[in-house]
Amino acid sequence: MKVLVCIKRVPDTGGGFRLTADGKRVDTTNLGFTISPHEECAVEEAIRIIEKHGGSSTVLTLGPAAAQEQLREALAKGINNAILLEADDYESWDPKAVAHAIAETVKPMGFDLLLFGNESADACNYQVGLRVAYLLDLPCVSGIKALEIQNGKAIAKRESSEGWEVYEVSLPAVFTVKEGINVPRHPSLRGIMAAKKIPIEQRKPARGDSPIARRRLKKPQEGRQLEILGQGVEAVGKVVAKLRELGAI
Amino acid sequence: MGFSGVDYFGLDALLTPEQRLIRNTVRQFVDEEVLPIIKESFEAGRFPTQLIPKMAKLGLLGATLKEYGGAGIDAIAYGLAMQELERGDSGVRSFCSVQNGLVIYPIYTFGSPEQKERWLPKLIRGEAVGCFGLTEPEHGSDPGAMETVAKRDGNYFILNGTKAWITNATLADVAIVWAKLDGVIRGFLVERGTKGFSAAKIEHKLSMRASDTGELYLNDCRVPKENLLPHAEGLKSPLMCLNQARYGIAWGAVGAAMACYEEALQYAKERIQFNKPIASFQLVQQKLVEMLTEITKAQLICYRLGQLKEANQVKHTQISLAKRNNVAMALRCAHLARDILGANGITLDYHAMRHLVNLETVYTYEGTHDIHTLILGSDITGIESFR
Ligand SMILES: Cc1cc2nc3c(=O)[nH]c(=O)nc-3n(C[C@H](O)[C@H](O)[C@H](O)COP(=O)(O)OP(=O)(O)OC[C@H]3O[C@@H](n4cnc5c(N)ncnc54)[C@H](O)[C@@H]3O)c2cc1C
Repeated sequence: MKVLVCIKRVPDTGGGFRLTADGKRVDTTNLGFTISPHEECAVEEAIRIIEKHGGSSTVLTLGPAAAQEQLREALAKGINNAILLEADDYESWDPKAVAHAIAETVKPMGFDLLLFGNESADACNYQVGLRVAYLLDLPCVSGIKALEIQNGKAIAKRESSEGWEVYEVSLPAVFTVKEGINVPRHPSLRGIMAAKKIPIEQRKPARGDSPIARRRLKKPQEGRQLEILGQGVEAVGKVVAKLRELGAI
Repeated sequence: MGFSGVDYFGLDALLTPEQRLIRNTVRQFVDEEVLPIIKESFEAGRFPTQLIPKMAKLGLLGATLKEYGGAGIDAIAYGLAMQELERGDSGVRSFCSVQNGLVIYPIYTFGSPEQKERWLPKLIRGEAVGCFGLTEPEHGSDPGAMETVAKRDGNYFILNGTKAWITNATLADVAIVWAKLDGVIRGFLVERGTKGFSAAKIEHKLSMRASDTGELYLNDCRVPKENLLPHAEGLKSPLMCLNQARYGIAWGAVGAAMACYEEALQYAKERIQFNKPIASFQLVQQKLVEMLTEITKAQLICYRLGQLKEANQVKHTQISLAKRNNVAMALRCAHLARDILGANGITLDYHAMRHLVNLETVYTYEGTHDIHTLILGSDITGIESFR
């Protein structure tokens, strides 16, 4: 089994963030970086599949040289190989351009399973995995929360409001993974030190056109407060009083 | 949402990717495994032993050793790991400091090949726990005056004496006991179950409640002569171990201070008095700024100390300066945070007071604050003032 998992380096906005002056990007000056949460689960899934069925796993990212840090994290957890498609201007690559570069790279490599995050934590385009599947003419199930390999086929489950949708997919295939499919492991300190020695394959991908350009981002106003006035009929009096106070009635 | 660190001077940019990843990994471990259980452990007055295999799996035990299954991380990465552990609890960090600096280090540095083979892999895998017996009921700051003695008896040594305030005492499978043989301080490996050897827990502690602290009793305790650490001789040997542990403490204290600062900052922004968040009052802001400033200075000390240690150039007096400054700083931050939290601050539902009382121990052990003052005073004046 040959498994590919594609990840993205995203700013770690846990402690709050600001936008750049032109409003087009998150200001990353004082922020750390991390792997998108859905992709962290995709990495975990790849490691588990290889642990169970044997074979090799490869992690790939399109990003700046510094994204080696995220690749090394995946290696530290147990992924076998890493590929960096180096693009310093990666933030201005739209999903179509990213998918093209990935598809070109992996086409000759013969992966049985290609895992993506359902969406990246920063851009949230929900597109790259689907586009790669299309470009490689492979089946794709998105938003999966369970994956198993049985007799050379993949059984993938997707959660819906009504219950579970279960799919049987012949390989090779693409899946986009959702957080919750597993609990990602911590890398061990030994793993981190060993990963340091694994060479990362670096390539400069040709950039296709990017018809989508982001105009600007807007942050919602801070300091908005939510107040629960009560439940059911008892709340009516308070709601009326509040509406009066706000001058709405 | 997990802890995202205090880094006002952008020190993260100086770290290597491995150092950052190690820090983040231990940070997440503390958020997921330590913080949810620490209140109960502290209240129950017991070390959370369930963490031992988890810490071993993560690679925290023997972390800087490249042999015997150690992860082989560098000094700064190790410091960052200790920082994060103590952000959880000083007792959890103490466990690692003892296992690493006071047990694995002396066996590795002073032990025979057989002693290393027998103990290091197990200690690193967390299958064995160690403790370090230097302090005695009557001799703390002046361990050179210890009363524990060893006598030769054929192929055995006979040990007599009592050790007090020993971290991991009742958990330990092996104790490194320091005793005088022919008037010279030597180290002995005393295994659990050896006749004449026992340990008892010290109860009613108000500090380090989540750490195991006890006494070791040696009553005509016979240990085979192979259990003498061949290369440890004189007070210098245990002091070399203490230097390892003190290095980790200098970093750990910053972690405790960061936890207190973060908690106080959040609380001050949310707590409303006089119709305003208390963070809007100048006095509260001053306290927060003082904490942040002192934490930032301590972080810079640690970073440079780590560079020196990694380059094998660090002086024990530099470690003294860092331990002395950083622990006092953390104690002050914990106190300020406790103050900002008001009445809530005295409960275990918040972290500040647990850190505050733990840091009272850290202020005293591994050389009291004042003893480090004297070490530094003697270094810069050339005049010793201990006695
Ligand atoms: C929770 C805990 C865990 C510990 N774990 C260990 C362990 O694992 N192994 C171990 O061996 N020990 C351990 N210790 C012991 C610790 O190292 C000692 O408590 C410490 O060295 C101080 O000794 P003491 O308590 O006897 O205080 P003392 O030495 O009696 O000091 C009392 C006071 O006198 C001051 N003082 C002493 N001498 C001088 C001087 N010359 N000039 C000025 N002031 C002086 C001190 O600064 C202090 O303020 C632990 C202690 C605690 C509380």
